[in-house]
Amino acid sequence: MTWAILGGVVVVVGVMVVVFVNRDQTAGPADTTGATGAPGASQAAIAKVQNVPASVLATVGVPSDITPPVHLASSTPAVTVDGKPAIVYVGAEYCPFCAAERWAMVVALSRFGTFTGLGTTTSSSRDVHPDTPTFTFHGATYTSPYVTFSSAETQTRTGKHLETPTPQQERLFTTYDVAALTGSDGAIPFVMVGNLYMWAGVSYSPDVLTGNTFDQIASALADPTSPIAQGIDGTANQITAMICQLTDDQPAEVCNTSSVQHAESSLPSA
Amino acid sequence: MSRVARPIPTLSVVLALAGVGVSTYLTIAHYTSPEILACSASGTIDCARVTTSAQSAVLGIPVAVLGLGFFVAMSVLCLPVAWRSDRRAVHLARLAATTIGIVFVLWLVYAELFIIGAICLWCTVAHVLAFGLFAITLVTAPDTLGSEVHEG
Repeated sequence: MTWAILGGVVVVVGVMVVVFVNRDQTAGPADTTGATGAPGASQAAIAKVQNVPASVLATVGVPSDITPPVHLASSTPAVTVDGKPAIVYVGAEYCPFCAAERWAMVVALSRFGTFTGLGTTTSSSRDVHPDTPTFTFHGATYTSPYVTFSSAETQTRTGKHLETPTPQQERLFTTYDVAALTGSDGAIPFVMVGNLYMWAGVSYSPDVLTGNTFDQIASALADPTSPIAQGIDGTANQITAMICQLTDDQPAEVCNTSSVQHAESSLPSA
Repeated sequence: MSRVARPIPTLSVVLALAGVGVSTYLTIAHYTSPEILACSASGTIDCARVTTSAQSAVLGIPVAVLGLGFFVAMSVLCLPVAWRSDRRAVHLARLAATTIGIVFVLWLVYAELFIIGAICLWCTVAHVLAFGLFAITLVTAPDTLGSEVHEG
């Protein structure tokens, strides 16, 4: 009896470890970022985020509580990388607002191209909205015939140095992420959509993500009535509309839909 | 008087005192900074992630403090004089404490693996020590708890 109890404890721990290891192997690409990986994030869930049905996105539209971007002055110099208009992102893995915004960015950018090597992580345990499940752009590659994506995750989720922004990213960050445009200097996430739009901060309330796992958030994106879809898909639609303006409404199957056209017309003007 | 093998009291008090040391370290880290822990802070092994998680406190009491209280109590209950005690309550208390301790350890391991998604090495050391105390207490239970019956 005694040995059965002791053996039982060992077996229970052993089973938990085996299940954990097997689940871990189904998660996203191994990362070298200092990120732990969002608990339970599966490849299937990552695929869901990159393939939110167009019908769902059209149904969600851009809810009125999504924060609009800043329209940059027409004199703003072109922002290009490798000869294509660029979407520039500067953030950090610890940052809970970056964690929330990345979901929408992945949904939107996946309509124009393909991510590979997209890893998962969670935001800092010691900040607001602790341990928010999310992606990390560190180590990811994005290819698109229309735009380029230039990202810098400057710190890990524990605040250690991760990536140094490129000179272009640094210049854009210091020039445009300023109080005169965003209300505060140097806020992250900082995003620029070419030389047309920029914003700093999260576009929807991260509260909708609280208490949800990576997979639960990914699954909720296909339910247009869920607060998660309203926030993430709604923000993704707004980003999609901005990118469509940058690409002269290419690809047509994305940009010429009535919902995206409506979102484009709702964007602030210069 | 309960009779246990001679190394048992020494071994158990050593495990308990080691637990006091580890849980004191974790308690200091809790009230100062998890960065002081000599532990990886990336990948699956991430002490800071575990010790700053929502699961690092129960009813507002830090788990590190609960662990410290457990090992301090076990240090007393594992003193040679306690092992020699004729009081059944002492041995029952030791068995009850280690049983509650090991159940709590199983919950913490579950929380690390499936809620937090990271493992804290120093917490694991404390878990192993708690398991060692549980094993010793359980194996010796027939001697400690049965002795009074035979003598009575």
